[in-house]
Amino acid sequence: MSSKKNVSLIIGIAIPVFMIFLIAVSIYIPYLFAPAPQYNFLYVIEDGYGQYRQYGVENGTLVKYEVKYPEHQTPRDARLFMYDVSKNKDQEISFEEAKKLKLNANVKSPDGYEVAYGSRDYGFFPLFFSGGHDYNTMYLKGHSASKKLELQSSNDERYYYRNRRFLGWIR
Amino acid sequence: MDKKDLLKHIQSLASQKAITKDELVSAFDAGISGDVPEKGSRQAGISDILYYIGGAVVFLGISVLIWQHWTALNSATKILSTLGAGIASYITAVFLGREERLEIVSGAFYFISALVMPLGLHVTFHVAGLDTGSHGVQSVVSGILFATFLLSYLANRKTVFALFNIIFGTWLFFSFTSLIVSGRPSFNWEFSAYRVLCIGLMYGLLGYHYAKTPHRALTGALYGFGVFCFLGAALALGDRRPHQNWFWELAFPGLVFGVMFLSVYLKSKAFLTFGSLYLIAYIFKITGEYFAESLGWPLVLVLTGLGLIAIGYLHFNLKRKYLS
Repeated sequence: MSSKKNVSLIIGIAIPVFMIFLIAVSIYIPYLFAPAPQYNFLYVIEDGYGQYRQYGVENGTLVKYEVKYPEHQTPRDARLFMYDVSKNKDQEISFEEAKKLKLNANVKSPDGYEVAYGSRDYGFFPLFFSGGHDYNTMYLKGHSASKKLELQSSNDERYYYRNRRFLGWIR
Repeated sequence: MDKKDLLKHIQSLASQKAITKDELVSAFDAGISGDVPEKGSRQAGISDILYYIGGAVVFLGISVLIWQHWTALNSATKILSTLGAGIASYITAVFLGREERLEIVSGAFYFISALVMPLGLHVTFHVAGLDTGSHGVQSVVSGILFATFLLSYLANRKTVFALFNIIFGTWLFFSFTSLIVSGRPSFNWEFSAYRVLCIGLMYGLLGYHYAKTPHRALTGALYGFGVFCFLGAALALGDRRPHQNWFWELAFPGLVFGVMFLSVYLKSKAFLTFGSLYLIAYIFKITGEYFAESLGWPLVLVLTGLGLIAIGYLHFNLKRKYLS
């Protein structure tokens, strides 16, 4: 069959192939040109999706709050992690170590990055339902690029329902 | 009836206004393009349906068997009764297809294999300890199935292969793009809408291509799904105030009227029906978003009602004039 006769078939197949190419380019090209992130950050993993916050940042320093839980609820201690952006890995630290750090609680770091949750995609059939967050993956997002963060806490199945919360950039 | 008798009969029908020139020309065109209803096609259609229903029931039986005895069966039996059954059906279909009179039965066995193989691959990957819900495994499963049915199609251009190429290709497209993106926060629901838009466009083009081939049985379904996905995604991309996307909100009426115009050119009732339905949805959306506060809800309802009557009239006229 001539290519003129198959033009609709060729265009039809080329459209999804071109879209895959476009997605790959839009992911990897900005990543090549984005400046390397400079600021490490502190995050907490805690029970209750942020309903009972055990830690916060006040005047650039980490503070611990007294939280009153309902009687039937026995929450586990929140865990603090420092993420090293140059090594792309995190390390658990104690509150005593963390409160010595100077923190910037702005969502965006001075070099234009922010920590964001991944988005959840339910696969092939429910085509439009991809707006939810995946609380197990976090990304460093900025300059049109995003980099997946390797979180130790992701491997701990006990914390699957816990919320990871960004606390501040380490100055 | 010879040619002279036939022409006299046509003259008589025309004088009684029992036949129009358009009907005569379209019957002539259909004859030239080889689109002639075959004798006994109704019987073949019913047996086709029975074969494929039978195939679906076999698939259901295997699924229930696995589900009921999941804990009792060992890994080898699980794989054998799913993937093994799928491969066995495929081989059976190949052998049956060698006999011309068993062509339809062969198609039914290909159908069984296309339904059972995905289940078998999922069971196999699950037994291997992989997360079958992950985009990586989904991409591999759909990739294997797509490659198998693409090679089958290249070897033997059957409609059942073309159909499953489209289904597995769509699955591969969604899984693979999700794998590349892997939950990056900048790819939100709009990304999914663009994928659906893209698939809708692809289905429409494939439907147009198949209309001129022996696989024209797929054209109606492809046009229907294609236009449903394409206009649905375009409408969703317009979003709602205050997050509206001006480009898609303004482009949508153009797309809908384009689709309705194409329904005449392609002689597709699916294009006309979905075009009309989406135009109604658009009128509701736009009046609700922009005019409910300024004009008042009762007046908006009146205008929307008039809009619906106009669409109904347009739909009826186009269908009667060009598609009946």
